[in-house]
Amino acid sequence: MASPCLAARSEIAIRADASKVREASAWLENSGQDLGIPPDQINRLDLCLNEALANIICHSGASQASPVHLTLDVSGSVASLTVADSGIPFDPLSAAPKPRASTLDEAEPGGLGLLMMQNFSDQLNYCYRDGRNKLTFSVRWADTH
Amino acid sequence: MTISFEDIAENLRRISLSGRLDIAGTDAIDMKFTALTATAERRVVVDLSAVTFLASIGIRSLISNAKALQRRGGKMVLFVGDNVAVSKTLEVTGIDALIPMFTDAAAADQAALA
Repeated sequence: MASPCLAARSEIAIRADASKVREASAWLENSGQDLGIPPDQINRLDLCLNEALANIICHSGASQASPVHLTLDVSGSVASLTVADSGIPFDPLSAAPKPRASTLDEAEPGGLGLLMMQNFSDQLNYCYRDGRNKLTFSVRWADTH
Repeated sequence: MTISFEDIAENLRRISLSGRLDIAGTDAIDMKFTALTATAERRVVVDLSAVTFLASIGIRSLISNAKALQRRGGKMVLFVGDNVAVSKTLEVTGIDALIPMFTDAAAADQAALA
């Protein structure tokens, strides 16, 4: 297990395809364990990762030939996962929040991904650089050392 | 991802889901879930207590089937037991305000029949 005091990194590239999302989750779980991220924090990152990948697969127009790059960084008691894709530039943080439905009749399925990423991460950052969308979500936990 | 059901009473069906309700998991159960909720005037308790991961695509499936059931005069409630991860996801997305959510199985059955 990595020392919590050292910065460490793990990376993978996957195709922007629904069949690859579980591969990404498995990579996150294994890498997260190797890097000493607590299981409940890996789960928060996994929820964000699933929503980010679903958005890319459904909306970004990203070519399957151009892989999505995932980078997991751990420094102390903070873990950050960056999802980089070459789809159309889109800042999910600038999207207007969807008004909450108050009855089931009003509810429209969908539009919950950003809400989940906002709630399950401690910090969300977006930038567009070198022709790629880069969305980073971070979680932090109480350092017991 | 597995799906099973039990008809507890003439008009009350419990549908139990277990495993990961992510893209692949939801895809695996969606048709059967829709078929099991598609009975007119049926009350349905969806047991999510053994769901280990709930992504928004799984929530979409819950909402669309709950809406379809309501349109036909039926009703859906959710049973989560002590599954804190799933109940937190339902709370932060506000779904618990649209589809009643219970930690107690008997209370869920009672609410479905009310």
